[in-house]
Amino acid sequence: MTSGDTQWPRYQVFHQEGPDRPHVNSGSVHATDEEMALQNARDVFVRRPDCVSLWAVLATDIHSLTAEELEREGLPESKNEDGDAQTYQVFLKKTHSGSHGHVGAIQATSPAAALAAAVANYGSQGGIVWWVVSDTSIVRTDPGEIDSLFQSAMSKPYRSQSFYHTVTLMRRLREKKGIRE
Amino acid sequence: MSSDPDRSIAEYLIGIGDDELILAHRDSEWTGHAPILEEDIAFANIALDEMGHAAAWYRLAGELQGQSAETYPDELVFARKPDEFRNIQMVELPNGDWAFSLMRQYLFDSLETVRLKALVESDWDPLADTAAKIRPEELYHLRHTKAWVRRLGLGTEESNQRMQNALDELYPYALQPFSTSGNEFSALPDIKSLRQAWKAEIQPLLAESNLNIPSVTDSPVRSREEHTSYLPMLIEEMQMVARTETEAQW
Amino acid sequence: MTEADHLAAFEARISRGEKIEPGDWMPDEYRRQLIRMISQHAHSEIVGMLPEGEWITRAPNLRRKMVLLAKVQDEAGHGQYLYHAAETLGATREEMIEALLSGKAKYAQVFNYPSLSWADMGVIGWFVDGAAILNQTMLAHCSYGPYSRAMIRISAEESFHMKQGKEQVIVLSQGTEAQKAMVQDAINRWWWPSVMMFGPHDQDSPNSPALIKWGIKTKTNDELRQDFVNQMTPEVFELGLRLPDPDLRYDEASGNWIHGPIDWDEFWRVVKGDGPCNAERIAARTKAHEDGLWVRQALEAYSLRETGAVAA
Repeated sequence: MTSGDTQWPRYQVFHQEGPDRPHVNSGSVHATDEEMALQNARDVFVRRPDCVSLWAVLATDIHSLTAEELEREGLPESKNEDGDAQTYQVFLKKTHSGSHGHVGAIQATSPAAALAAAVANYGSQGGIVWWVVSDTSIVRTDPGEIDSLFQSAMSKPYRSQSFYHTVTLMRRLREKKGIRE
Repeated sequence: MSSDPDRSIAEYLIGIGDDELILAHRDSEWTGHAPILEEDIAFANIALDEMGHAAAWYRLAGELQGQSAETYPDELVFARKPDEFRNIQMVELPNGDWAFSLMRQYLFDSLETVRLKALVESDWDPLADTAAKIRPEELYHLRHTKAWVRRLGLGTEESNQRMQNALDELYPYALQPFSTSGNEFSALPDIKSLRQAWKAEIQPLLAESNLNIPSVTDSPVRSREEHTSYLPMLIEEMQMVARTETEAQW
Repeated sequence: MTEADHLAAFEARISRGEKIEPGDWMPDEYRRQLIRMISQHAHSEIVGMLPEGEWITRAPNLRRKMVLLAKVQDEAGHGQYLYHAAETLGATREEMIEALLSGKAKYAQVFNYPSLSWADMGVIGWFVDGAAILNQTMLAHCSYGPYSRAMIRISAEESFHMKQGKEQVIVLSQGTEAQKAMVQDAINRWWWPSVMMFGPHDQDSPNSPALIKWGIKTKTNDELRQDFVNQMTPEVFELGLRLPDPDLRYDEASGNWIHGPIDWDEFWRVVKGDGPCNAERIAARTKAHEDGLWVRQALEAYSLRETGAVAA
């Protein structure tokens, strides 16, 4: 069984810059379990300010539909109509250059029904990609852990390009040369 | 330690600063060579935090001795001779395999965690403040290394054996901080209670991870002035570029 | 819809500036080219950690030490973002790593040169990351969504890499005689490898036309290379430093700095694996991968036992 493969489960990561901002997709990490998914997400995606919350979702728990797929094949077929309704969180990519951002929650009895509801309720005038995720499949960081998770990113200004004053240094050099000449 | 409180506390701070500096040096050697890409990133983060912590302790030691906060840390790092460093021996040991480095990191992070918990209660405010600033980052280090010790302890027979070998070798070194004779200064933590807190911290996690704590009760090393033969090479490497131009800007 | 219809619709989307996302229809050739390009880019970031990583322990002050470690860490992160972007196209991490270690996959040849002095750190940051930024700024407009987003994230971090290097070169160029000599020597060794980072001349670049048609590349190798030379040359001279190109001259009419002939023999030798450090770089990555096998196996075993799930 053990292949030493790093093709472990993939988790999509969503970060929240501030309490009033939506969670936005930053990318994905591989991890063998939820705890490592959160830790890897933090180490890979939160090296610079600002972040107050991280969500991680197994890629296989994300049900996705693109506008192009919708046009080409229509809505996916619903299978489990008799299931109990549960909460699905909806992420929408609204612009071509943007990322998938959290827009809200819906109730649905299946992933396919959730996608249909997402298309109907969100961005039907200009949505490009819809992702729906059952609320229970989201792994979340704890608000009480904000300091231990995210303070490290705040204490390293040298990771920012604004920490280096190359323009000032070059200008000073030119001035010095000007004076000498 | 001298009987002058400022001098003694400064020496203590330099000692724990040196622990962070030397361990950061060892951790940074893993960059580009870790078993998984995600760990290259994680270990580098730990090393960066540690360098920041070292600088913070050095600045505080400097404050006590009327030294410049700007230049004192670099002076300590780049101008001292190997026998002037005051780190514990555990952090100067070469990295070994991933199990060795992980176990060493865990033993250090668990110690740091209980030490910082005590230091935030220090009756000297600047020390309590610095400890409070550092503590959240250290809590994450412990979370990270605990997760790894558990996974490698319980993973496969091979990983368990490697972790046990590492623990057997490192445990006596990990006891060194407790072999100093105790602190007479209320600003600093009580050694006996620190030792108890540390034991309480590591015992459950190691047991859960199917790892046995060796029956050694004391470190053979009695002073932070004693070093292994690894330290001079480490310091020489660390200082080699700086020493080519001691008065220059870099 | 026929294959031809799909292709026409796809190309129309690209010319409208739309992003292609996982799930969208795409030609096999587009998928293949992207996997090749993205994984090569990822490998370059990972291998690129090595010449700089060696100097972290020897940085001459704490600030430089932290900055260099942060830079190398970013490079690991960039590799990570890029492997994931390639994975959205169906490549697996394991396949990509195997391709790198077996020599099948290429990576930027610039990292096959040794880092011989501390001054190399500043020069690599300014020249190599400076060149990378030009390339990346273009790739941020790439038509494939996950790659474009990875490039935007990378570009934001890359500017720190370039500036910290430039700052170091400025400081050394105004320092002691020994420091000036050290940085000039580093420039003499890294200039041409940086110029060659933009790849073969346009007429010798077989992949470029397809990449440009499908919005993966928007500028040619030579266009980017000219931008680079124009940007770097005046500033290097302003610092009182020289470039190892006796034919370098300013052309009033075009406003371009025209560089001398590139040694393509050397370029192809290094690309094909015969550079000064190719073997050493691959050996280091191979060792990390092999030494790490028991670690990855342990994590998988733990995961299977604890979660009862198949880790795949």
